[in-house]
Amino acid sequence: MSPELIIALLAAAVQAGTPILFATLGEILSEKGGVMNLGVEGVMALAAFAAFIVCHVTGSAWLGLLAGGLCGVLLCAVHSVVCQVFLGNQVVSGLALTLFGTGLSNFLGTPFVGQNTGGFRALAVPGLADLPFLGPVLFRQDAMVYLCYCAPVAVWFFLNRTSLGLGLRAAGEMPAAAAAAGLRPQRLRALGVLAGGFLCGLGGAYLSLAHTHLWTTGLSGGRGWVAVALVIFAFWRPGRAVLGALLFGGVMAFQLRLQASGTNVPSSLLLMLPYLLTVVVLVFCAARARRSGAPAALGVNIEPEG
Amino acid sequence: MHKRLHLIGALALSLILALAGCQNAPEKAAAPAADGPKTGELKVGFVYTSPVGDAGYSWAHDQGRKAIEKLDPGVKTSFVEAVKEGADAERVIENMARSGYDLIFTTSFGFMDPTIKVAKDYPKVKFMHCSGFKSSENVSNYFGRIYQARYLTGMVAGAMTKTNIIGYVAAFPIPEVIRGVNAFTLGVRSVNPKAQVRVVWTKTWFDPALEKDAAISLLDVNADVITQHQDSPGPQEAAQQRGKYCIGYNSDMSAYAPKAHLTAAVWNWAPFYETMIKEVRTGKWTGGRSMWWGMEKGVVDIAPFGPMVPKAVQDKVNAQKELFKKGEDKVFVGPIKDQAGQVKFAEGVKATDKELLGMTWFVEGVVGSVQ
Amino acid sequence: MTLIVRKREEPIGWGAPVIYLGALAVALALCAGLLALYGKPALGGMAVLFRGAFGQPHSLLDGLLKAIPIFLCSIGVALSFRMQIWNIGAEGQFALGAVGATWAALTFSGLPGPLLLPLMLCCAFLLGGAWGLIPAALRLRLGVNEVITSLMLNYIGVLVLEYLVFGPWKDPASFGFPMTAEFPPGGQIGRLSAFFGPAFGKLHWGLLACPLVGAAYAVFLSRTRLGFELTACGEGERVARYAAMPYAMLVALVLGVGGGVAGMAGCIEASATLGRLQPTIMVGYGYTAITVAWLARLKPWPIAFTAYLLAALRVGVEVMQLELQIPAAFAPILEGAILLCVLAAQFFLGYSVRLRDPARAGAES
Repeated sequence: MSPELIIALLAAAVQAGTPILFATLGEILSEKGGVMNLGVEGVMALAAFAAFIVCHVTGSAWLGLLAGGLCGVLLCAVHSVVCQVFLGNQVVSGLALTLFGTGLSNFLGTPFVGQNTGGFRALAVPGLADLPFLGPVLFRQDAMVYLCYCAPVAVWFFLNRTSLGLGLRAAGEMPAAAAAAGLRPQRLRALGVLAGGFLCGLGGAYLSLAHTHLWTTGLSGGRGWVAVALVIFAFWRPGRAVLGALLFGGVMAFQLRLQASGTNVPSSLLLMLPYLLTVVVLVFCAARARRSGAPAALGVNIEPEG
Repeated sequence: MHKRLHLIGALALSLILALAGCQNAPEKAAAPAADGPKTGELKVGFVYTSPVGDAGYSWAHDQGRKAIEKLDPGVKTSFVEAVKEGADAERVIENMARSGYDLIFTTSFGFMDPTIKVAKDYPKVKFMHCSGFKSSENVSNYFGRIYQARYLTGMVAGAMTKTNIIGYVAAFPIPEVIRGVNAFTLGVRSVNPKAQVRVVWTKTWFDPALEKDAAISLLDVNADVITQHQDSPGPQEAAQQRGKYCIGYNSDMSAYAPKAHLTAAVWNWAPFYETMIKEVRTGKWTGGRSMWWGMEKGVVDIAPFGPMVPKAVQDKVNAQKELFKKGEDKVFVGPIKDQAGQVKFAEGVKATDKELLGMTWFVEGVVGSVQ
Repeated sequence: MTLIVRKREEPIGWGAPVIYLGALAVALALCAGLLALYGKPALGGMAVLFRGAFGQPHSLLDGLLKAIPIFLCSIGVALSFRMQIWNIGAEGQFALGAVGATWAALTFSGLPGPLLLPLMLCCAFLLGGAWGLIPAALRLRLGVNEVITSLMLNYIGVLVLEYLVFGPWKDPASFGFPMTAEFPPGGQIGRLSAFFGPAFGKLHWGLLACPLVGAAYAVFLSRTRLGFELTACGEGERVARYAAMPYAMLVALVLGVGGGVAGMAGCIEASATLGRLQPTIMVGYGYTAITVAWLARLKPWPIAFTAYLLAALRVGVEVMQLELQIPAAFAPILEGAILLCVLAAQFFLGYSVRLRDPARAGAES
């Protein structure tokens, strides 16, 4: 493999990893608070549509981005209400959300299939783009990728250095103790879910505004599920989430380039690589870690008193 | 208390089953005048495997549907899109047959078995299946010789490439796609024997993100012309963003890549559908046929050339196009070798339609796996 | 005026069906509203849905046909959900079951029907079960979350099927299209109409598998000690270990048998509906099964009823597609909405909500 091909591969990995990273960070926020949200796939699908339609109508990619994020918030609000108010089972509610979100996205989007919009274009960072290796890989991407560079830092800062973030983590580990200490675990959980929803929505928006500038059904393509898996790989830490997203994006880009280089391996087997990798990665983590890092109260709804 | 619920559940189920027993035999379609001419209202149905709006394969069929509606005021058309091939397709087709449709077009190869099955139960309804190989008493199959258009677009690609590497984003390793790749490559090599065509399989008919990535992976290995057998313009976008050329498929895709779009291999189903309607009207329609129309009937064509294609190239391609229009099809005439160098068609030997329909190997000049 | 939420001391009794119907009504109303938003007649659209699902003479048969694989997959899913093992892998297990059945049909094509069909079902059960055991093993040995592994195995399972059908098992007579050879006549499940007359339309003998599997499930749960442990274990790993119950064995059992049953659904679908194996056998029954299992609270009769209901709704949506040109995506919206509303409504099964009048605050503690 020539150096140019490796650079191209890494650049593609960064691009492919961006929506996954957004979604993974969003899910980390939600799960740190104790709410498992399996609806990420549906959130990304619907947010992709919301972002597309707003950009299509207003012509502004940034407004589209915002719309995608807000759409994520709204959809995850449904999840929050079902799980926190009505004590619905978190796993099943998430699955229902996936069904609903992808269905709604395809339903509303059917008249727009094949249309394109402006969206984000590649934006080279002056100066940095000319660095020998890192330049083409990191600094010739589009604005949303640059946004994504800041996201893990922001999430880390929020979770570890702000009182709200610490409160969120308390709600996820020991909600009863948190309540006794004067915090309001339900509200903190809701915050985690909604903020996570915003980030997942950004991931979805990336797909229709930057990755391609077209709309079609099924744009999310299973990335939401990968994000849920990567949260476990990342031990619920933003830093490792970056690694996971890059790895996954890299595998997706790699199998395509392997084909382009003229391999004889059947494409079905190559397409399995990302999913096999996810399983391998999970096995690897579980085998090595003594503590998985999962919030203790993950998946357990807080019962109302009285 | 739970036992009571069980009891009620059992009663309800028994009631439903009892009702089933009282049902009459499944309705057959109200029989139109058997096989004679059909005047008056004609109900025509279309079944698509993908959404119509994708400017792709189903969109092209739908343009044909709209054309026949305009042509004949007595024709009422309807369509069902995004029908998954398999059991769901069978039910959709049967629904149409039951609802009194006279002529039903099923436009994807995966609808083949369901069409034949339903046709058996509804002998008075006429069925036409696109891109398959089965027929029966009231089912005929049809397809277009898009490979002729592919050959022409290959000539353009071969003339315009500077790196001699051309990328092909392909959906599924089925004969029609493989045939398209082969015809394209033969066209490329007819003007540029040094060029090679690299194939990447996406295993999807429409997923713009994946198709775009596939195109980018080809551009990364120095391809400077990209074409596709896909329904979305994703690869076209990728080519334009990199400042390279692209060739579309199904329809004119220049709107998505105005600076990069050289031409496209396009379908034009209107002449075919119009002829079929006329046949039904005059009572001349029969089942059991395999109709494979080409450029001589106007069913396939190439999109207008982009401004960057030099006149010399245009003239050469147009000359070949005229030959196709006259009915002279020498695309798959030997000597043709496969990827391994084996001679598949000796000098002067023309491939039969059957061989074309079952093509599962790549010609020399194609780089990539056939699976 | 404040709301008092109190946990119910005793089960709700007759209010339960009311709550479920209420949830269903809300979901349908929401979807009708969506239709109106889309520019289609809201009530008219719903009427078409119901007519297509229940009103036409063939609706029942169409619904039953589709309900067969959904029911079987749902039983498989429900088995593991009972233990709070989240088996999301029914789709992949279905695929592998179809692969197993195809292997048997193609390798032993000379056998007569009464021998070949049971062999196919066995192979389907074994292969589907094995696919279900993978997440089980990973969870037991390494503590890996079974949600993700079973989900990834869905994608991998479908790709295995595709690899086989595009490659080694491709029918030489199929003009290069990705399909296996047609199953021998002994390997194709016949139609009931051959025996019982045309009123049974396209229904096939696979229907018989449903009451058998359903009864086996019901009997297992209520009459065997193992079945009782299954429900008890759902309340926590520790409880099971404390009571010295074989937790690992139970996990393997539910995922293995559950996978096997989903595999049998794949066999039946390949044999009765398609007559061969091709990638289009996958239509998402595995995911619908999860919805059904949950809506039915994992109980056998309700699973049968709900499987039929969801199958009928899918059939109804197809009629909506044809008559009103409504996109096919309406079906998962309907399913998702119903599931969400029922999830919310189930709250009221366990909790009572009352308004408290402040003036009477003194009377209540």
